[in-house]
Amino acid sequence: MNETFEFNARNMATYNEYLTRYDDVESALLPVLHLAQEQNGWLPEHVINYISGLMNIPAIKIKEVISFYDMFYDVPVARNVVHVCTNITCSMFGGREIYQGLLKHFDTGYLTPTRDGRISLQKMECLGACEIAPCMRVNNDFVGNLDLTSAIQKLEELP
Amino acid sequence: MTEKVNLTWNGKAIQAEKGSNLLKAALDNGIEVAHYCYHAGLSVAGVCRMCMVEQDGVPRPFPSCNATCGEGMVVRNDTPKIKSAVETTLQFHLLNHPLDCPVCDQAGECGLQDYYMKHGVYDSQMIDKKVHKEKVQDIGKNVMLDAERCILCSRCTRFTEEVTKTNELGILNRGDHAEITVNEQLKNDYAQNLVDICPVGALTSKDFRFKQRVWFLEEVQTTCIGCETGCAVKVSENKNGAFRVKPIYDHDVNGHWMCDDGRNIYKHVSSPTRLASATENINGLFVPADELAIQATLKGKKAKYILSTGLTVGEYANFFKAIKGSKAEVALYTLPNLGVEFDGLLKRGDKNPNLRGAKAAFEAAGFDHTQAALDKMLGSIASSDAVFVVVPEILYNEDHFNTLIKKVEKAGTRIALTPGETLGTLRSFNYLLPVPSFLEKNGEILNYQGAARTLRAGLSYGETSKDVSYYGKWVNV
Amino acid sequence: MKDVANYKDYALLSYHHIPGVHNLEIFERAGGYEMMKACFLKDPEAIKEEVKNSGLRGRGGAGFPTGVKWGFFSKDRNAKKYLLCNADESEPGTFKDRYLMEKNPHILIEGMIISAWALGTQKGYIYIRGEFYQQAVILERALKEAYAKGYLGKNIMGKGFDFDLYVHRGAGAYICGEETGMISSLEGKKGQPKLKPPFPAIKGYRGLPTMVNNVESLAAVPWIMRMGAAAYKQWGTEKSPGTKLFSISGDVNKPGVIEVPLSTTLKEIIEIHCGGMRNGNALKAVIPGGSSAPVFNAEDSYSVKMDYEDVAAKGSMLGSGAIIVLDETRNMGDVLKWTLEFYHHESCGQCTPCREGTGWLESVFKRRDTGKSQKSDIALLDKTAASMRGQTICALADAAAMPTQGMIKVFREELEQYVTTTGKK
Repeated sequence: MNETFEFNARNMATYNEYLTRYDDVESALLPVLHLAQEQNGWLPEHVINYISGLMNIPAIKIKEVISFYDMFYDVPVARNVVHVCTNITCSMFGGREIYQGLLKHFDTGYLTPTRDGRISLQKMECLGACEIAPCMRVNNDFVGNLDLTSAIQKLEELP
Repeated sequence: MTEKVNLTWNGKAIQAEKGSNLLKAALDNGIEVAHYCYHAGLSVAGVCRMCMVEQDGVPRPFPSCNATCGEGMVVRNDTPKIKSAVETTLQFHLLNHPLDCPVCDQAGECGLQDYYMKHGVYDSQMIDKKVHKEKVQDIGKNVMLDAERCILCSRCTRFTEEVTKTNELGILNRGDHAEITVNEQLKNDYAQNLVDICPVGALTSKDFRFKQRVWFLEEVQTTCIGCETGCAVKVSENKNGAFRVKPIYDHDVNGHWMCDDGRNIYKHVSSPTRLASATENINGLFVPADELAIQATLKGKKAKYILSTGLTVGEYANFFKAIKGSKAEVALYTLPNLGVEFDGLLKRGDKNPNLRGAKAAFEAAGFDHTQAALDKMLGSIASSDAVFVVVPEILYNEDHFNTLIKKVEKAGTRIALTPGETLGTLRSFNYLLPVPSFLEKNGEILNYQGAARTLRAGLSYGETSKDVSYYGKWVNV
Repeated sequence: MKDVANYKDYALLSYHHIPGVHNLEIFERAGGYEMMKACFLKDPEAIKEEVKNSGLRGRGGAGFPTGVKWGFFSKDRNAKKYLLCNADESEPGTFKDRYLMEKNPHILIEGMIISAWALGTQKGYIYIRGEFYQQAVILERALKEAYAKGYLGKNIMGKGFDFDLYVHRGAGAYICGEETGMISSLEGKKGQPKLKPPFPAIKGYRGLPTMVNNVESLAAVPWIMRMGAAAYKQWGTEKSPGTKLFSISGDVNKPGVIEVPLSTTLKEIIEIHCGGMRNGNALKAVIPGGSSAPVFNAEDSYSVKMDYEDVAAKGSMLGSGAIIVLDETRNMGDVLKWTLEFYHHESCGQCTPCREGTGWLESVFKRRDTGKSQKSDIALLDKTAASMRGQTICALADAAAMPTQGMIKVFREELEQYVTTTGKK
């Protein structure tokens, strides 16, 4: 694979703005990875190498960071990422059954994009919205008080 | 200069530099403290949790590697509390560790084995599935990685980050899925140190792998002759030869490390192609010859000597003492520089192990050690001459040396004294004589700092002479 | 007794009922940023003293007195220092900071400006967990407004004081809520906690003095300054003064965030503020301070006062104030299983006892899935958990061990029964 990546003009401007926020380049790594993932969907080797060159951070350090955080992806993910909470309160109200039910309904596995490339499901620990348990995050938004039917319905609406 | 403080460790009074590392103070004073992640040459990680101590007046146990020495400290790691903590922590270390000691090269010098004998809990309650990771990976530079054996002490990642600054290694993932990973391949020139600092069998040397069990090896402490740095090293050997070279801590010269090139300096010593006895070239066929007979043949010829920079101070002295009063001409062959002058760590481009010793000896004896003097000698070689060439023990650049050999061909009799491999180009010589390698002689060499570095004769080489006056006996022929 | 979760009545949430209070203009109309302006007329040391006198205890979970922590900080106003707001809120069951920030971001910003002035920090970051994307957007917008007003940036209020404040998003790792893990993460590294000493107040972010405080602690600062330490201390107890946000979830009729004085009884919280038990079921147990806190049985739950000392006296901890209510239909084995999976997933992997221990606790407890379990596994679990405590750089190992041991202490028989019945896949 000879894929290339570079920030588009808007994200390059954002990148430069990020650098002004910190007293060293390294500190901007998390925001920069969020930005790159926003543009590319996930963080494959060639994106890592681009950022490594751009920020002068060793590639292995970037790989360490990506592998450490649940929300950075070193595997391809679908255009909609759905976090399903399976921590205590959500599990009390069927969070795990919803996660399993969604996997079955969309015939997929952990993070694996559905065949139409629409949805990646990710089992997550507490999302910090226990008052609306069981809950999930659809892209950047919380959706709560779910059952399997309403969860499927919500996700089927996704583009 | 530095202030000393008195402290007590397990009731033993010890002294240490104020503010120095508490664990190191114990280790330096012969107190045994189990530890995996601490290494004096690296930053403190404090993650293996084996060196925990209790201190009078401090409520909670803490890792001694993250503490500094202060006056009057009273520290113990032999309390029931610490002993039981170390015992269970060791159990945690072993939880996902494979039981492949019988096929592991680290066996015999493994931190896990060592401490298990002392602190082990022998009734394993682990009946659960172990976490599996990648086992045999060639990560480059003759280093093999077994991620399952790794206890994630992070010494290796700290080494590539802090010492070589090449950042090839990292630890990916969280929790018990954490795993040492190489970015592409190792690319630094100090990679074998990774094998040394790995406390378990996760990083092993491809060169040493499966060759020997460590308990069949003995060590001789000597000096690396790979370049003018003169790192302190130990060579592991037995009656079958030498098997590996490891660095010894030397504050003033090499610290904790040595370069990968130095790891190979032993290889010629027990090489099957190494010259074992004096040999005469009879029409291209090299046959064993008697040294005395060779000496007789050379009698009356005008002797010219081209010495290498690899003799010890003592050898030079004996040589010049022996030729004193003779009409012998002497010049010095200096190895050409290779690579950068200094790589910022240990490796130097000047590959002459005892250039300073050679120069001093030449000057003291009134001989010219310069290239010009060598060129002059080479320019005036005649068929009546007997030319002795001491072959450098390690030749990084054979071509350069071969140019010299070509020029020597004009001489009537050509004698090579070689401590190393029998080179193809030596076919043009009339006589080949074995001389001791660095592992077969006692003496001193002067490194780049002009500091005397010790060479020690190995334990098990009887085949060649250890007589430092060896070079001298070819004089006055 | 008040019968609703009490917006307006106390402090932190008293603006939450005002529509649009996340807009600076509306916030100011309600009296916002007044304390900031007033504080700029005060000596920074006096502000620190007031906070110290208030007895405010860190609201992130450890409960260390904020004023004392501030006292460890460098007093050299010219030295480069950082103020870091811990908005990583990821202790399971906790969502109070999210609720506070999303409705009223300016109270946090005001609190941080006052704290920065008191501490002499020139730069600050709000480290917010990655999952709180919209909350980060809300904060960014609020920061923009504050900058436009000249409350942030150079020469604030003409005092010659500079303070820049930014939002920094995490990316999904519980351990970043630990203050040195957060610092590592902010430095662009894995969020692995750092060895202490040195403490962040001395050597923190980028090796420079860094003050890390929880959202709720910082948001309390304007209120402490407004009403004065003495008045603030009228709420709560001597050792647990002030009001506290509680996140309540589980088997209650009205889960959510409430603000009540510390030492309010858990019974009152459940029955009055949360509308009682769901479906009229009987209470079985409560996890009183987030998933790390040892569980209470019904009896202790109904007798405990929610302050640091009483919760501790009954063998648990107030933690982040995350109350998870469990009714009679709940199986404690399930709860422990979910808890153990969580800590296994979140261990950062540095320290051996935690890295290996969290995984093993889960494996041992789930032996029922492979038919290898026996009653004595619970004893092994207890012993293993005990041996993880106090052995690691940060408190995650303890946070996994404490609820395990707590659960065993209170519900041993139920757990023994749980592990010896075959688990469903």
